Amino acid sequence: MKIGKILTISNMSVAILLETFEVSVRDTVWAESDGRRVFLEIANVNGSIANAIPLGSIYGLKKGLDVHLRSGGLQIEYSDNVLGHVFDSFGGLIDGGTIENPRTKNIYEKNLSMAEINISGDMLLTGIKALDFFAPMQKGFKMGLLGGAGIGKTVLIKELINNVYKGWGSNSVFVGIGERSREGRELIDDMLESDLLGKIGIVFGQMGEPAISRSRAAQSGLTVAEYLRDEQSQDVLLFVDNIYRFLQANSEISAELGNIPIESGYSTTLMTEISEVMERINSTDTGSITSFQAIYIPADDMTDLAVNAIMTHMDGQVVLSRKIAEKGIYPAVDVFNTKSKLIAVDRVGERHFELVERSIASFARYQELEEVVAVLGIDELSEEDNHTFFRSRKLRNYFTQPMFVSEQYTGLPGRYVEIEDVLNDVEDILGGKFDHADEDEFYYIGAISR
Amino acid sequence: MSTQGNDPIKDRIAAIKTQKNIYGLGHVARMRNYIIEVSGMEDVGYYEQVSVKDKAIGYVSRIGRDTVTVELVRAESPVHVDDEVVTSGRTFGAFYSPDSIGKVVDMFAEDKMTGNFFKDRQHIGVIPPIIPIMDRTKVNRPMYTGLSSIDMMYPIGCGQRQLIIGDKKTGKTQIGLDAIANQRGQDTICIYIALGKTKKTVKEVYTELQSRGAMEYTIILAAFQDDGAPSLYMTPMVGLNIANIYMRQGKDVLVVIDDLTLHANIYREISLLAGKVPGRDAYPADVFYLHASLLEQGCQHKDGGSITILPIVETRGGEITDYISTNIISITDGQLVLSAKAFEKGQKPAVDFGLSVSRLGGAVQTPEMRSVGADVRRELLSYLETREVFELVNMDEMNEDMRRKITRGRAILDLVNQYKFSPIGPRDMVARFAEFADGGNEASL
Repeated sequence: MKIGKILTISNMSVAILLETFEVSVRDTVWAESDGRRVFLEIANVNGSIANAIPLGSIYGLKKGLDVHLRSGGLQIEYSDNVLGHVFDSFGGLIDGGTIENPRTKNIYEKNLSMAEINISGDMLLTGIKALDFFAPMQKGFKMGLLGGAGIGKTVLIKELINNVYKGWGSNSVFVGIGERSREGRELIDDMLESDLLGKIGIVFGQMGEPAISRSRAAQSGLTVAEYLRDEQSQDVLLFVDNIYRFLQANSEISAELGNIPIESGYSTTLMTEISEVMERINSTDTGSITSFQAIYIPADDMTDLAVNAIMTHMDGQVVLSRKIAEKGIYPAVDVFNTKSKLIAVDRVGERHFELVERSIASFARYQELEEVVAVLGIDELSEEDNHTFFRSRKLRNYFTQPMFVSEQYTGLPGRYVEIEDVLNDVEDILGGKFDHADEDEFYYIGAISR
Repeated sequence: MSTQGNDPIKDRIAAIKTQKNIYGLGHVARMRNYIIEVSGMEDVGYYEQVSVKDKAIGYVSRIGRDTVTVELVRAESPVHVDDEVVTSGRTFGAFYSPDSIGKVVDMFAEDKMTGNFFKDRQHIGVIPPIIPIMDRTKVNRPMYTGLSSIDMMYPIGCGQRQLIIGDKKTGKTQIGLDAIANQRGQDTICIYIALGKTKKTVKEVYTELQSRGAMEYTIILAAFQDDGAPSLYMTPMVGLNIANIYMRQGKDVLVVIDDLTLHANIYREISLLAGKVPGRDAYPADVFYLHASLLEQGCQHKDGGSITILPIVETRGGEITDYISTNIISITDGQLVLSAKAFEKGQKPAVDFGLSVSRLGGAVQTPEMRSVGADVRRELLSYLETREVFELVNMDEMNEDMRRKITRGRAILDLVNQYKFSPIGPRDMVARFAEFADGGNEASL
């Protein structure tokens, strides 16, 4: 159906002079230019003029071209065919495969009501010492993995896929938003090699693609996850790398539409945008979505608005710190900021809770002592402080872990560690059982062998 | 301006008839630096090339209701209001010539040393095409720089994007040049993209590479400050488009972009002048996308060729966590951080071992290099951390283990010291460090 003509064109927005009122926000429209269809999504309608965001390249687009409506808006496959396939943000297949008799669904699904949401679930182990100890995970949780550029978020996501997904009974969804295409390709290859591709649905809107593509990858990926939860009644594992890029892409679109930004250039509708996505990631009585979401911290600024908007929706957070990574400690977990709603006596039990408290207190004292030692030397410490100092260093080294996915990098085989072992080891280190041992012996090991 | 007769419409028709291949005609209405607004040109396409007669060429950056905005990329003489502007019917593009190898050229394939255009010029696009995920394969072949602190500890593979970041005068460009010089005899094409450098500096680079025989396989693609902002903004993209041509021929290409800090600032300038909404640090919201789409050109293509990119970023006061730096760190496959402090202490290249990362690591190393490299790196990092905490402690008061750790750590730092243009082959490198890792030459410490 013809809806109007192109009026103005700029980098990422096209104004359309409408001839009809049958057009609304999030409708998909198209114009033909040089024998090629250019698709656009309506962003706002202002009287008889609509502004639209192009979904692809607009080179050569001209004023006065006819614009037509495509019914149904943005859609993605909504059937068992999602498994084993790789989609772009607009529901197109990019793995060279085809789907016969496609059954698609609009990617902007309504949110769940309060009555539909189920909040109970069992503890979910990851085999990563620092995570299971400081920020244990529960089925149905949203866990945020935060870190600045280049300190190991993606490695952690990959390790979680390796440790959790590979032992997971049902299907998973991976959503790549604004990350590296090389890593996207590696993920597909890894899944193929371990014969797991058939159990996962993948959606990519990577960093080399326009903002709209990076933004809509989130909604497309969620539609796939919702299919598995609602139609197949499954417990779905959802990996998102990286949800910050969703808000970043939205701020680019908003700026291009000429909206006045808030601080750091984010769009004014930041909170609404993230809520719309996050409220879809929940569990119901029939199925659940458990998610691990990497969150990029721009300019290492923990007070960043977008990061904080995302954090309000998380049930737990693992914070990775550059200061710790600098010391060669991976995963570079900042224990002071890493937390989970599960760390409570009635959830993980008294022993686990106590050990976490003691560890954090010990690390806090260590930080103070580090300065004292640098100035006065180790001999000036009291006996108690001396113990705290060396035991904390051992404990810090103990929380390093060789990862399965970085075997090639470290040259060390990966380790999966049971939570019981972690609790015993931490108790023994803090209790002084290993005071005689060298701290290097705790560096990149699994559980302590005895 | 042509004569204003009594019948302007008739005059205009006559004017159009006298010129061939005219797709549309307009007149300059407003000007602001290199951004002009043109009235008329009703039929122009977005990003189409247009020219202000005999004076300048540019591209359409916006089609408004009444006027068309054009950014001028190359201006031979000053533009005036009411100058005639004609469309070309084709997307704006740059030029490239196969004869560019061995030369200093600009994005229009002009030989900067002679000021002439190459005869065999091909029209190429500015914005490189997106390389689909499925057209990529694993990055797993080493791209040697000849520097042991890189090849052994923070290795680079063909198709990798490895950032070189550090303050002024810490040897960033030199690492890029070392890497280029080390490609001799490898059947690799190198492209050194010089942005906003002085003509003198570029000539020095040319002479350095020439004297080492490296110009035989290298293109220096330069945009000088006086070429104007749009040209500085487009040149890296054109560089990667050229790299794309060679990659599709199955060749390995090494691209050094010197530097992206300037590129980000130029983009900010253009965006603000064009009236875009400023974001963090006044950069436009899409500055991340600008660099992401550029650096995503780096890849190992499934058909065999590859593009390796070494972008350079300049920091101030060793601050690598500012907006642009972290953006680029989050795009690249690793970063080589250079420290002013280490440079002053005489460590060359002045690598900050704690902050540097190669995400691909061992995947792009031979098994021998991987095992030696991993051991040496672990030992060095452990030493550096210990040194930090025990900085003021007298060595004589330490226990035997600790003393040994410190002596060995110092020895590693000595071993990785390398003067410019003195590459070590991978085999020698492994031999030298394997002996050390085994404790073989400990007696000589």
